Amino acid sequence: MKELIQKINAIAKEISRPVSLMEVCGTHTQVISRYGIREILPKNVKLITGPGCPVCVTAQRDIDAVVNLATAGIPVATYGDAMRVPGYFGSLDNAREKGAQVFDVYSVEEAMTLKEKYPELVFFGLGFETTAPMTAWGIQNGLTVYCAHKFFLPAMEALLKMGELKVDGFIDPGHVSVVIGKRPYEKLKIPQVITGFSSQDVLEGILMLLGQIKNNDLEVLNQYIGLVKDGGNLKIQKIIDEVFKEADGEWRGFGMIPNSGMQIRKKYAAFDARIKYKKILDGVDFSHSKDPAGCKCGDVVRGLMESKACPLFGKVCTPDNPVGPCMVSVEGGCNVSYRYDRM
Amino acid sequence: MKNIDNITLDMGGGGAKSSEIISEIRGILKVKGKWKNTQDDSATFDLGKEKLVFTSDAFIVDPLFFPGGDIGKIAMSGTINDLSVMGARPIGVSLSIVMEEGFPISDLKKIIMSINKVSEMAGVPIVTGDTKVTEKGKIDKIEITTSGVGLATKVISNSGAKVGDVIISSGDLGEHTVTILAQRFNYQPKIQSDCKPLNKEIEKVGKFLNACKDPTRGGLAANIIEIAQKSKVKVVLDEKTLPYKKETVAVTDLLGIDIFSLASEGRFIASVSKEHSQKVLKILKKFNPEAKIIGTAEKGNGVYVKTELGSLRRVEMPRGKLVPRIC
Repeated sequence: MKELIQKINAIAKEISRPVSLMEVCGTHTQVISRYGIREILPKNVKLITGPGCPVCVTAQRDIDAVVNLATAGIPVATYGDAMRVPGYFGSLDNAREKGAQVFDVYSVEEAMTLKEKYPELVFFGLGFETTAPMTAWGIQNGLTVYCAHKFFLPAMEALLKMGELKVDGFIDPGHVSVVIGKRPYEKLKIPQVITGFSSQDVLEGILMLLGQIKNNDLEVLNQYIGLVKDGGNLKIQKIIDEVFKEADGEWRGFGMIPNSGMQIRKKYAAFDARIKYKKILDGVDFSHSKDPAGCKCGDVVRGLMESKACPLFGKVCTPDNPVGPCMVSVEGGCNVSYRYDRM
Repeated sequence: MKNIDNITLDMGGGGAKSSEIISEIRGILKVKGKWKNTQDDSATFDLGKEKLVFTSDAFIVDPLFFPGGDIGKIAMSGTINDLSVMGARPIGVSLSIVMEEGFPISDLKKIIMSINKVSEMAGVPIVTGDTKVTEKGKIDKIEITTSGVGLATKVISNSGAKVGDVIISSGDLGEHTVTILAQRFNYQPKIQSDCKPLNKEIEKVGKFLNACKDPTRGGLAANIIEIAQKSKVKVVLDEKTLPYKKETVAVTDLLGIDIFSLASEGRFIASVSKEHSQKVLKILKKFNPEAKIIGTAEKGNGVYVKTELGSLRRVEMPRGKLVPRIC
């Protein structure tokens, strides 16, 4: 480990200019802060947190939609972190406190069990290629889903296209890459390393990125070699493709990103909550579905603002009383920063 | 508690929110009496030569039956353990049961038989109790409340850890929560709930313990933080000797949940002077070969883990419920 750090220091010295690397997976964000990796890196190597937290990038409109389904009497199940995101109409947790049938689950399988007891149950599906396959399996087995799943790569493309900040390289998300493989990243034309999740993995990923930057290479390297294949996992890709098609997707902080949304295919329309409960959703006034006043989550997920620079951080906005999703989710930049960086 | 009108689930999670609601409740209750240690696992009352030690606990568990135990075993062990970690010999436990209409009598019998088994094992009788039945659906199946009294010559509080002490764990931790979580996944790990009474083993080593807690709700994190805060010491745990089995690590890695907040229902952690540590360890290993030193108490405050990179990482107070990773 010491040797790795020495190598990083040496190569950073050779590069000599400031370098910004972006991690785009919530689990990486946690590992980096947990092991204080930012602090042990040389001064000219900066790590920026990108849009890798699924809960954080979920649009306010989608939160407001499922909260309204719940308060209209439709049982709703989703992952724990998504329950606490405050929308204009409150959070799913708030809806449950007031008597709505809202359940947190650890897996789609658990939602399937709940469905036996609550046949009308809607699963609020969110996340990237990692959680989407399970949701797809649920839909194929008759689970009704409000789908906010997203393809991840378009967000990286959008980020580069927007050009708001200079990124010298990406620490690519290990889990997403297990599914999509190495090839799709190649079109981004920027140094990238698909990276695993131990502290050593992350340091190795950083070293490999710095190596590319030094040599002006634009490759996609694979550090998570045991698990990520060039073509990814075809079986899982197939199930995603069977159930979802590409559509425009709304991301917090980004707005609409073309072809980034997973839309439930017509074949499964009977299990698409957006269609099944269109009447309820059409009756919702979404004109207030924007970021809460003062919340900078939109800037945080785009890497434009460090969590600690947000005026609300740690004062009005804490994990116990979060204003925005980046403070809610254990994978969110603000939540992670609050827990680990306040020493 | 600002801006909150209703009880939220995380107020029952043993973390920061639980502490807040408990202080709200305590704030309203004015009569204090001559009881001491009222912020500890049990309260104590001076009887002269000995101290009366008193505790109470409510139990809701889903599922009711799980590998290694059931709600009855947890309820009985939990109360015996809360007395034991105070250095008391438990002498009697009360048992109050609220059930919903329609609850199978066979299940009730199974639960009571399991309570009896713990009672026999620990040598502690159930001495009084109560039963109530609600209309179907008013509560979820069954809730059990146990209270217990014990006698102690030396009370072990959680504020007695001293600089220079070592922190000992009576065995590997977290297996209770992992077993319950695994049930939600149809995943069958080799480990079982660690639920069991601790009075026999604590009796053997009690006189050497400066501080002691059973890391139930809130896990190692919440409980070692409490010992550090109340004892005004800094605790440094060593990442290389953390008391978790590889199955426990695997399940928490898989789900992306914080291993330090996993509950155990039949383990304790204790702060022991270096001088007595090997003796204590030797005795504890007879009960559980996994007993080991997991850290040290130093000058300062806070709880930290010394990581493989050599840096110190702060152990955070668990917040709310355990939430899985989705990225």
